[in-house]
Amino acid sequence: MTGDGTRPSVEARGISKAFGGVAALDAVDFEVRWSEVHALVGENGAGKTTLCNILAGIYRADAGQVLVDGAERDFRSPAHAIDAGIGMVHQHFRLVEPMTVAENIHLGWPETPGVVSQRALVDRTEQFMGEMGLHVDPTARIWQLSVGEQQRVEILRVLARGARVLILDEPTAVLTAKEADDLFRVIRELAASGLSIIFITHKLREVLAVSDRLTVLRQGVREITRPTEGATASEIARLMTGEERVLDVEHRTVTGQAALELKGVSALNDRGIEALHDLDLTVRSGEILGIAGVSGNGQSELAEVICALRPLQSGSITLDGADLASLSVRAVTDIGVGHIPEDRIGMGMVLSAPVKDNAVLHNYWTEEFSQGLTLDRQGVINFAKQLVETARVQTRSVFSTAGQMSGGNQQRLVARREALAADRLLVAAHPTRGLDVNAAQEVRSTLIDKRDSGCAVLLISDDLDEVLLMGDRIAVMYEGRIMGVFDSADADREHIGLLMGGHSAVEAAS
Amino acid sequence: MTPLGSIASAVLRATPWRLERRLEVEARRAALSRIGGAVGAMVLVGILLLLTGRNAFWIFWQALDAIFGRQRGIEGAALRAIPILMTALGVALSLRMKVWNIGSDGQFLMGALAAVGVGIHMDGPGWLVLILMAVAATLAGAVWILVPALARAYWDVNEIITTLLLNFVALQLVTWSALGFWRDKEAAVIQSTREVSHTLPGLPGANSVTIALLVPLVIAAALWWVFRSTTIGYEIDTIGGNPRAAGFAGIAVRRRILVVMLFTGAIAGLGGMLQLSAPGAQAMNAGFSAQFGLSGFIVAALAGASFWGVIGGGLFIASMFYAGIVLQTKGLSVYIIFAIYGVILTGIALGEIAARYRVVRRDADEAASHPGAAVGTEASREAGP
Repeated sequence: MTGDGTRPSVEARGISKAFGGVAALDAVDFEVRWSEVHALVGENGAGKTTLCNILAGIYRADAGQVLVDGAERDFRSPAHAIDAGIGMVHQHFRLVEPMTVAENIHLGWPETPGVVSQRALVDRTEQFMGEMGLHVDPTARIWQLSVGEQQRVEILRVLARGARVLILDEPTAVLTAKEADDLFRVIRELAASGLSIIFITHKLREVLAVSDRLTVLRQGVREITRPTEGATASEIARLMTGEERVLDVEHRTVTGQAALELKGVSALNDRGIEALHDLDLTVRSGEILGIAGVSGNGQSELAEVICALRPLQSGSITLDGADLASLSVRAVTDIGVGHIPEDRIGMGMVLSAPVKDNAVLHNYWTEEFSQGLTLDRQGVINFAKQLVETARVQTRSVFSTAGQMSGGNQQRLVARREALAADRLLVAAHPTRGLDVNAAQEVRSTLIDKRDSGCAVLLISDDLDEVLLMGDRIAVMYEGRIMGVFDSADADREHIGLLMGGHSAVEAAS
Repeated sequence: MTPLGSIASAVLRATPWRLERRLEVEARRAALSRIGGAVGAMVLVGILLLLTGRNAFWIFWQALDAIFGRQRGIEGAALRAIPILMTALGVALSLRMKVWNIGSDGQFLMGALAAVGVGIHMDGPGWLVLILMAVAATLAGAVWILVPALARAYWDVNEIITTLLLNFVALQLVTWSALGFWRDKEAAVIQSTREVSHTLPGLPGANSVTIALLVPLVIAAALWWVFRSTTIGYEIDTIGGNPRAAGFAGIAVRRRILVVMLFTGAIAGLGGMLQLSAPGAQAMNAGFSAQFGLSGFIVAALAGASFWGVIGGGLFIASMFYAGIVLQTKGLSVYIIFAIYGVILTGIALGEIAARYRVVRRDADEAASHPGAAVGTEASREAGP
């Protein structure tokens, strides 16, 4: 099966697929070879995920053929695809949250022994993780893990099932720079051992860093397939978007009173373990404070404790001098704090409810919509229509359920909604995660507009490039502590990278 | 995909048609599809009856005539509808929040028991006694679900088990009252409480149906309005859709769950008083609830937590039960009647599912190369987050 790097492993010929009359893919040809890492590049809605879902047996094409090793295959389910050696790691995890890592990896795996102890499951898992060079605590339950750790479990699960063609749907969207580098190493090793890797992404740096060949999709049509060698980022960006857009952020230095002030803050995580230790932090009005750090180092808990979603163990949190920690969630919102939550779909939306109801989730009780008991239905509809328009959300109507929108549109809706709610402080947790270039620029512009209007912005991101681009000041977080705070002018990428990895300031300086 | 959907698409694979899931189902289509399911089931029942040598046309005629042919029939169906509608409305309210109140039978019984207690011990003008009976019944229904509601709201204890088990406790209390502390010592029937001497005023032109029939209609209208036009309805729907998002929006999720569950019990409890205050039903015995809670639960589940759907479905099922009783008197076996109930309810359930799909024609060449193309799409939609 392995070999020369020219024989195709999977081929798609003339694949077309429409959803509700809208063409997602239009006669796309796509070919991946053994021993290659093939980057599938395009903006949100370009059809990357749809194409891979067809290869993985999740969707069935309206027209066209799928060939594996030269033989036409008709996948009726993902099980058929995995039998043929095609496995996919999805952007949205398909893990059983109350079960452990070891149990999830062994779930539905034909090699799982019929009778087996927890101990044996853990041992097998640890051994397999060692072989793959990917580590997660095998006894941890999924819901206790950070998003990044959960994804590692997903990748392990597909690898365990003997996938020879591995499809990764935006795997780095949730990973830090260090984790991503580790992943790239694993990907290169897997490809060297003869597997095919299809790598869906819209991060150009990753395309150039990891892939052998690349295919660009735009609006359901293949633009190009070419060797990565010799390609440039601007060329790929042009093919992806049809235009080049670069956001130039002018950093500011703001002095004066702190708007948000955390002093000696400690808080527990969901497992009851202290996730924030005696943490001090200030954000001034009119500045963006970027928090750099590997996900799972207390950033989620930090955002939640500020927004009153998580109890404070000790310390104080004030906004413009007023105590924030004693307020309810609603009172925090009412005094002008917006929150783009890390888990936008799980926490920020009701997928079964119409778009209009989601639009007012954070202000339906205000005088604008509510006179005592009643809810101004027409007001809600008008507000939602306006929000959809300004956030450039694509939906059939504000009466459709939010679950029918694509992930990117759901994110845009939440981001704009929260920005509107934020008069004094906007807490943005990974606001551009999973968004394509244009949509990410829009969200970043929103944050900059908020800053320029005098709002304090706390930006949490595990994309160091984003923190460096956006932050007027940058704080580095590691294991629930702030390792250092820098003005953007003094921020040194390598230094920050060391602090993110837990090296102390002294070690990093030497 | 549901098992039914899989079977249907497997069958359709051999034809030039395929199943496609609807992105949205309009209320009218949902209602018509259920009605279609009921009608289809009745046709099936008719065919089976004919095949077993019975005169299906005569039986259907008798059933229709039993209900619509005379005023007694219409009133008999309406009398059965009242308790079913009340328990169904309580359950439908809880379903909006994805809470399963299986204990509406117990709440119904406790409401009736409280009403009897007030009714047989209180002297005074009839209207006052009746109002106090209604208040006592409403409170008793709420009290009966208080412990499951607290346990669910604050300790995440599964309410299905707790509410269900309390049904049996309620039934034992009713039996005890009928045999013991409130037993009617003078009556010929030994297992019955004393009789309340007041009844609700009758509806104009009716012989036995009282104004109690209006109560579920008013409650349905009120609930419909609450969920259409108030922040409370919005909050309950948000909790039902995604409790984490509700917490994110600052909704006091636990307190809301508690209050809504108390309301569902209160509605069922009031249903018990309405049942008790009808002429001829003024005393309680162990058979006071003919599993009204169970029927109400079926109605609420089939109506998909739509309050007007509950009214329509409850009236239909009550009519069906009434017709069944009449058919028994005409010599049809009770087992056949129960089988017919089952087939009709299954037909409605299938109609509920069918409303979510449509059959579309494949292109000729597509049919040849890609049978059942839509199946995968649908499967992934459900597999998704």
